[in-house]
Parts: sequence; C-alpha cells; structure tokens
Amino acid sequence: MIEPDQLMLGIETSCDDTCAAIVSGDGRVLSNIIASQMDHDRFGGVVPEVASRRHLEMLDGVVAIALSDAGVTLDEVSVVAATQGPGLIGALLVGFSYAKALAAAAELPLVPVNHLRAHVAANFLQPDPIEPPFLCLIASGGHTFLERVSDHDTHQLIGETTDDAAGEAFDKGARLLGLGYPGGAALDALAREGDDRAFDFPRTFVGELDFSFSGIKTSLLYKLREMPTDEFERVKADLAASYQRAVVDMLVGRVEHALSRTGLERVAIGGGVAANSLLRERVAELGVHVKVPPRELCTDNAAMIAAAAIGIAPTPYPKYAALDAFPSGTPALAAGER
Amino acid sequence: MTVLAFDTATAACSVALGRADGEVFEHRPESGRMLERPAHATELLPAIVELLDRAGAGWDEIERLAVGVGPGAFTGLRIGVTTARAIATARGLRLTPVSSLSALAAGTGASNPPDGAATVAKGGEQAGTCVLPVIDARRGEYFYRLPGGEDCVSGPDELIDRVAGLEARAVGDGAIKLRDRLVEAGLQVPAGDDPRHVVSAVAIIELSRAAVAGEPASVVPNYIRPPDAKVSSRERWLVNAES
Ligand SMILES: [Zn+2]
Repeated sequence: MIEPDQLMLGIETSCDDTCAAIVSGDGRVLSNIIASQMDHDRFGGVVPEVASRRHLEMLDGVVAIALSDAGVTLDEVSVVAATQGPGLIGALLVGFSYAKALAAAAELPLVPVNHLRAHVAANFLQPDPIEPPFLCLIASGGHTFLERVSDHDTHQLIGETTDDAAGEAFDKGARLLGLGYPGGAALDALAREGDDRAFDFPRTFVGELDFSFSGIKTSLLYKLREMPTDEFERVKADLAASYQRAVVDMLVGRVEHALSRTGLERVAIGGGVAANSLLRERVAELGVHVKVPPRELCTDNAAMIAAAAIGIAPTPYPKYAALDAFPSGTPALAAGER
Repeated sequence: MTVLAFDTATAACSVALGRADGEVFEHRPESGRMLERPAHATELLPAIVELLDRAGAGWDEIERLAVGVGPGAFTGLRIGVTTARAIATARGLRLTPVSSLSALAAGTGASNPPDGAATVAKGGEQAGTCVLPVIDARRGEYFYRLPGGEDCVSGPDELIDRVAGLEARAVGDGAIKLRDRLVEAGLQVPAGDDPRHVVSAVAIIELSRAAVAGEPASVVPNYIRPPDAKVSSRERWLVNAES
C-alpha cells in the first residue's frame, strides 16, 4: 500500500487529453498537467489515429513538466499509476505501454487504473475531500453514470446511460447549433441568453435509474430540419437554453430519485459536464451537501488516476509487464476502434 | 557495450540484447506469427525483462537503446516507440531510431550493408541480387523500399509495376502476402517460414552502431501515411444524421 508521504506518478491517455500528475499518498496534488488536443475540432469529433499520434508526441514532455512542476525527479517517485481502460484503445496503449516501461526500467511497482473509478476517486483528493458514504454522478463526453460510494474502495453502480453520454448530448447539440466542437461551454454560454421554455424537448427516463440522451438530439435535429435560416438565427439562444434545460432536467431528476432511493445525504459530481453552470445551480437547490471538485479534477486528468491508486496494492515489478489495455467499459467509447 | 533493441513494425515482436562480452540474446518470433494478430502490448515488455534475466544483466547496464520506427502498423509502432522512450527516460539514455525497412533488408543480423535495399554480396547468393523489403501497410497497401533507397507506400498493382523484372529477393510479411504476384514478376520469395521475413532486432543493433542517437522525445514513428480522418464512434451518429 502507498504510504501517505510517498509520491505517485499518474498517467492518463484514454481519449484526447495527454495527462501526467504527481500526487502524494495522502492525496495532495503536487502537479497536474493536462495537454489538450485542439486539432480534432475540424473533424467534429475525436479522430482516434490523430489522438494516438499526438499522445506519443506529447507524453514525454507532459511527464517531464509534471515532475518539474512538483519539484521532484523520477527517483523520488514510489509508484506509477496509469489508465488501463476504458477508452480509445490506440490512445490508451501509448500511455499504458509508456507507464509499464517507465516503471519497469526504474523497477517501480505499477497500479493499473480504471478510468471510471478514477473520476469517482477525484473526490478523495485534497483539499476538501468528501468522505463516503455519498452519491456520485459522473457525466462527461464519454460516460454518464451514478454510483453509491460506501467506502473508498466500495461502490455500487446504480445507473448508467443506455446510449450517449450527457457530454455527448451537449457537444452534438452544440454542433447542430453551429457552435463547433467540442461545444459544451459555448452552448452553456448561449443558453444564458435564451428562454429555456421556448421549445419542448423530450425527457427520457430508462429503467429505475438509467439515462438516455439519444432522443433529445434527434428531437433537436428534426426541429432544425424544418426551420428556415432566418428563424433559426432568431431563436438559436432559445433552442440552446431549452435543450440545455432538458439535459440537465434528466441528470438532476435521476440524482434526486437516487438520493431518495438510497437515503444518501451527500452528492459529488464529476466529469466535464460538472462544469455546466445550470447543472451546478440545479444540484445546489436539492438541499443536500454537494461536492464538485475543481474543474481540472473533473475533466480527464492524471491526478485522479493517481487518486484511484491510493488504497490499491500496487503490482510489483515485473508482474505487470504483460498487462494489456482494455477499450470497453463504456459503450460510447468502446466500439469500432483499433 | 550492452545494447537493447526491438522492433514492432509488423505483427512479429522482435527483441535483442547484445551483452558487453559480445553475446547476443534474442526474442525472435517465428515468421508464421506475422500473419496473426499482433500482441506487442503483452509481448514486448515481458520479452525485454526475460532477455535481461537470461543475460544476467540489469536495467542499469544498458548503454545503448535502439528502436525500429517503421514504417509499419501504426499501433504497433507506437507501442515500440513509447516503450523505448520510457526506458530511455527512466535510464537517462539517448535513443537511436532505425528504419524497420532497413532492418528487414539487412536480414537476420549478419554484417550486411547498413542501409538501403542492401546488395547482398555474400551468403551464397550471387552479387547483384537486391533485397526488396515489403511490410504490410493494411487496407490493401504495402510499405517497401526500392533499390534506389526510396521508401514507398502503394497498392499491390503499383508495387508490382515498379519492381517487375528486378533481380531481387522480396522479404517481409508483405512479401509473404504477395508471394504469387512477386514470383510471377520474376522476384524470389523465400518460403513462408524463412526467418528472413521477420524484421530482426539483431539487425537493428547492428544498424544502430552507425545511426545517430537523439533525445527520446525526438524519436517518432515513420508513419509515411497520414492518419485516416475517421471520427470516433461517439460522433458517428452526427455524421450519419447529417448525411
Ligand atoms: Zn473521463
């Protein structure tokens, strides 16, 4: 087990951000470097081959900056933690193979980390960690799920998306509204200028606590198809506001239902969608204790990868040499790669 | 000098460790492996650890590190290069990039000419026989090096057009796949299980002697081909819905 004063190097390359971080065994973030790949915009989505190439180009530099920002050298690192999956397989393999080889050549132990667990573990980082039990909603461009977190390493998945992720719904909606990719932040900004009751969008609730976001973007697409250009320009902000409110209604509706079902009194929110201002407002109104980690710990990052390694027995050198990365775990990111 | 070298451009994961006393330890996959799925993620690092064990050498004894940079299958190349960079970073080493086509042309590691489509002047073959290294580039294309030293990527028809009539021996996973057409065009192709079809890490050790080592981060795969602009599945709906 990692001692409180030992240092971990975290590495994350599951999608299009190249990330490295130094975190102590007691959850202090000494550095947290996130190199975002901007060159996917023109394709309107993440291009796996482009992402993989960029990860390889940037990873050495990102690791070096994480070490120097923390004021340490590799010799002072006791454990390497890296995302093993789920994610884009080609992207994962760049970071995971790097982590394995770096750990091996330094004869350090390695902790292979599940990216989804890491989003939850971001809540345990300093300052102001939240202690279990709590309800956790993780919503990003790649995943949307609800967990009951009973202990640092005891958790139960109680709801997940059956199709798209919530962040995907925002990004696709933004793209249909001509706001570029990824457009979640632009949609959020435009929505503030619009009437959120101007348009009707469906709220879909699947099963007991599951999510579905495919219907809402189809609904937006149909509305846009029938709309003349001059009208579209006039009501664009109303469309953004109504669309955003519908997505947030679905998320908050599920959180509310999960709180009453589980009897939990605290909720933590993570993933890139946690940056959405309306979601933050609406969750704050639920009357329970709400924890939202700082933005750089909500979006994909390596500090959360190291956080997930706390409390896991590291695999000693060289037992991890043959470990492979795994792509699946969230349907949204798993299919069609390699 | 202790040298570690490996190549992951094809499905065959080749690793070699040259010990200071001159003895060479090799993880050399059988050529049949080249037509199977690559497994570099699970094979490369264990093979390196095993060779160090067999040689009784420690990580701190490695003085030179060389890696095949392709061209070849993109994911495999990246596993090789990222692994090499990490080892170099951890051990404070420089990294020597070597062309996988050069290594394939150089053969199984005997002292052949260092670069280009090597003219094999010994080993029982007549002088003047060229080696045409051909690596499968997937999607019906092939990477190969013409006798003039030019690295190419093309479909099989163009490849055959350019090499027809050459007095050459074609090797590599691409040569195995295109055997019938290459033979028809007048080239020799060794039997499918011939070790000359495998990119040899021993050849990479030899070629690295004359090559220039650089900072680890400066070593990148030689992709030759631009990335396919295929958007990930999570965006596919949009593309379909708009078209
Ligand atoms: Zn994520």
